[in-house]
Amino acid sequence: MIKLEHVSRWYGDVIGVNDVSCEIGPGLTALLGMNGAGKSTLMRIITGQLKTTTGSVAIDGLEPFANPEVFKKLGYCPEIDNFYEHYSGRQFVEFLARLSGMSKSESKARTQVVLEHVGMADRADKKIAGYSKGMRQRIKLAQATVHDPNIILLDEPLNGLDPVGRREFIDVLGGLADQGKCIVVSSHILFEVEQMTRSILLLHRGRLLANGDLRVIRSLIDKHPHQVRIATPEPRRTAEFLVTLPNVVSLRFDRADKALQLEVREPDAFYDALARAVLEEKLPLESFTSPDNNLESVFKYLVNA
Amino acid sequence: MELAIFQQAIKEYTRFRRLLPWLALALACFGLAAVWNRLDSTATVQDGYANVSFILAYRIIALASAIFATAIVGQEVEQRTIVYLLTRPVERWKLLLFRYVAAVIVVAFLGFVGVSLTSLGSYHGLFSNPLLMNDLKAIFIGSMAYCALFLLISLMFNRAMIICLLFAFGWESSMSNMPGDLYRVSILSYLQTIAHHPSNEGARMLDFASGTLSTNSMSETSAWLTLAILVVATVALSLWRFSTSEFIPKEDSE
Repeated sequence: MIKLEHVSRWYGDVIGVNDVSCEIGPGLTALLGMNGAGKSTLMRIITGQLKTTTGSVAIDGLEPFANPEVFKKLGYCPEIDNFYEHYSGRQFVEFLARLSGMSKSESKARTQVVLEHVGMADRADKKIAGYSKGMRQRIKLAQATVHDPNIILLDEPLNGLDPVGRREFIDVLGGLADQGKCIVVSSHILFEVEQMTRSILLLHRGRLLANGDLRVIRSLIDKHPHQVRIATPEPRRTAEFLVTLPNVVSLRFDRADKALQLEVREPDAFYDALARAVLEEKLPLESFTSPDNNLESVFKYLVNA
Repeated sequence: MELAIFQQAIKEYTRFRRLLPWLALALACFGLAAVWNRLDSTATVQDGYANVSFILAYRIIALASAIFATAIVGQEVEQRTIVYLLTRPVERWKLLLFRYVAAVIVVAFLGFVGVSLTSLGSYHGLFSNPLLMNDLKAIFIGSMAYCALFLLISLMFNRAMIICLLFAFGWESSMSNMPGDLYRVSILSYLQTIAHHPSNEGARMLDFASGTLSTNSMSETSAWLTLAILVVATVALSLWRFSTSEFIPKEDSE
């Protein structure tokens, strides 16, 4: 759906996005990066607000800059918190629905549908000036989806939402992704992203550091052995067996918690061997976890690299 | 879609708080016209109307054009709502053209109110004023010309409002009074040709204030033609510029 080939964008002497190539298909993809990583620039390039300095972008094969054909298929929820404050939420969404080519009656009906979808139908007639941050985020999502686009880009959509609102918002995005739409969500909050998807694009200082499934990316980072913590009532016997496995790099006792801290390479092979040992050697395991098999660790490893 | 763009722009431009200063200025036209003949007992009613309309009412359209035309895009960029407009399936030229039309209508309306109230102040009526119809025509084409020019300036330069205000007051006031053919580079001179107001015999200060100091030898046809060309050319350039340029709020483009 979205294809970027060697996309770079300069702001004078400063580079915003540097030689980014990737393809984004249906489902929910997170665009990750610290502040200033180039997420918003990339979003603006994909949504046809900015031109590329070099490289090309295609949305279903079409160049997006100022291209109305692209905007029929694309919805954008910007990071900014600005609206026509004297409008009500309903008027705002209706107006943008009409700009999407709908008749007055169509736009009214469609606005009602999306307002219900984002949980704003009962509050949509109040002026936007009086809305909370969460209500504003919902209205932005409503305007982005009002013309039923196949591609929806959301720039930091969870900013300012309370935990309940965040959960509801993530569920709405998940529902849209389940319909086969291509959803791209930018965020710098790893915890939020982890709740939404495991498919990530990681930007750092304008460059694309990683692209794909989080677990696959983690498994490819060989420089940092995976952390595994195993709780067992027989740590000595378990350790005796585990040190014989070729994937175990180091092993440490945690006497207080009756647990073992391991560093392993090729975690899939290690987990297979561990499962066999439990069955064949009757190793009494209570639990095992992988504390660095998460987005934060991947992010840290990649960015520090 | 086009209607929605137009309606939204009209709604934006005609918010009461936004119109209030202009209506106050129009009332000032009425007040000044009403007392003019008391201040200058030698002036005829027509002189009073002609002077007040050129000194005040015609300046309203230049000033209002500077405000409304620079807001067509500038306000959206400044309040960062431009992103909602530029990411919709609507051609950029349509977006700009219909917002321009809305701005022209609002500016022309304010100009009409200004000269109508001036007429009421001077003639105590509208239909007894032989100059009114020409003034309405001049104000309409003037609104189109000023808005087109200021729209182009707003798309070409940062701090466009300052440039437009300098043009509306500095350039227009001085150039229309310049000797020789220099008056031809002022929009106000063309509007004066279309308006056919009588000159102030011997009153140089009044001529200076109303921008009629120079000897204007233009024909009405050439005035219409020049303004029409100006409107078409500047609007076309604006549409091209808006369709091919990036419009990102300054704080977002760093």
